[in-house]
Amino acid sequence: MEDKKEGTVKSEGNNVSDPRIIAFVCNWCTYSGADLAGTSRMKYSDNVRVIKLPCSGRIDPLFIIEAFKKGAKGVLVSGCHPGDCHYISGNYHSRRKYAAFRDLLGFLGVDLNRIEFSWISASEGNKWVSVINEFTDKIKSLNDNSSDIFKK
Amino acid sequence: MANTDEKLQKIANDLLESGEVSLVIGYTKGSNPQRMRPAFITKTEDAGRLSFSRYAVQDLAVFLKKPEVKKFGKIGIVVKGCDEKALNALIQEYQVSRDNIKIIGVECNGIIRQNLADKGETAVSEATVYDKCLICNEHTPILYDYLVESGEPKLNVSGNIKPYAKIEELDAMSPEEKNSFWEKEFDKCIKCYACRQACPLCYCSRCIVEKNMPQWIDTNLEETGNAQWNLIRAYHLSGRCIGCGECERACPVNIPLMMINEKMARDTYELFGYKSGLDINAKPVFGVFSESDFNEFIK
Repeated sequence: MEDKKEGTVKSEGNNVSDPRIIAFVCNWCTYSGADLAGTSRMKYSDNVRVIKLPCSGRIDPLFIIEAFKKGAKGVLVSGCHPGDCHYISGNYHSRRKYAAFRDLLGFLGVDLNRIEFSWISASEGNKWVSVINEFTDKIKSLNDNSSDIFKK
Repeated sequence: MANTDEKLQKIANDLLESGEVSLVIGYTKGSNPQRMRPAFITKTEDAGRLSFSRYAVQDLAVFLKKPEVKKFGKIGIVVKGCDEKALNALIQEYQVSRDNIKIIGVECNGIIRQNLADKGETAVSEATVYDKCLICNEHTPILYDYLVESGEPKLNVSGNIKPYAKIEELDAMSPEEKNSFWEKEFDKCIKCYACRQACPLCYCSRCIVEKNMPQWIDTNLEETGNAQWNLIRAYHLSGRCIGCGECERACPVNIPLMMINEKMARDTYELFGYKSGLDINAKPVFGVFSESDFNEFIK
């Protein structure tokens, strides 16, 4: 029943061997970096689903909660390197926010291996590939039975 | 004690008489000797009702967010050290104007836990006061227009009782153990939002949980929605909570909310060197940033 609910990622192909990973990325750096990886014909894990937002500062912690709630096995948040933000300071604000939010998640019992943060610039297609591949491997190696507060 | 009351009453009387304020929020004696309750004084002849004691547990700053109190304009308020920090945070966040508030600070030497007071506990000691009192550095309010000394003896903290000891205990647990602990706690939540209503800093006229386009937080009582609500409430207060403990006191099912709040207060201090409510001129911690902020967790 739950699987058929609209908008959930619990549908086919979301299990231990084939986990679904949601990446929230900024439009200006990481998305372009992922684009570069694509146009350069680099191969990376297809477990990731990319959601583009204007800036890493726009990525509200609510999005992460929502992703976990809908059944994502891992969440990646990625933006421009410090100092490179298209909007001058969005990534600095986001960094401060997430330093605290990550602590909170950890304290409430979410496995912090399931959430990853990175700075990837538009020219770092290689880094995108390695971050995605490493993160996917890490998620696959986790015991899927380890429950967390959003999973039921 | 009687002396403290008299001073409070005189200040309130003078303020109302001169027209400097049109409302004084303070404490008055409750229906039994172990209880205090909030009092709203608008007439000088009522000033005699004001009182203060070791049972004055409420954080009166919470009333400043209510429209029916705001309409009085200039307000005098009786605050303990911790409540005054809430006031500072409100001023910092432009919710209250310093010019409209007359702060009547009271020296507080610890508030007796309400559940113990109800059983007849009368002595202020390490074992009987709230955890927040044991870590309190602001027994005398930081900012005040009038200060009323209390005649009560100083609270001696020997360190034998560890405040918020459960935080370290939980920190040492594995994610699964932490999760099962919180699962049990959040399972009790009935989504009454008393924690929000009792919080002096939860002043949004429309809370995130009441927004339904899109609906980020499930309003039903199943586990996911409960976890979401408690997590977001704690997140919105991290770096802001001043630790008055009203959310936990208001909680009808006794979820240890102060554990989360205190943990986040400690973490924001560790990460950014910021403590909430100490300085009305400081910028709120998540309103600013530093180029040298903690970056270790980002690849």
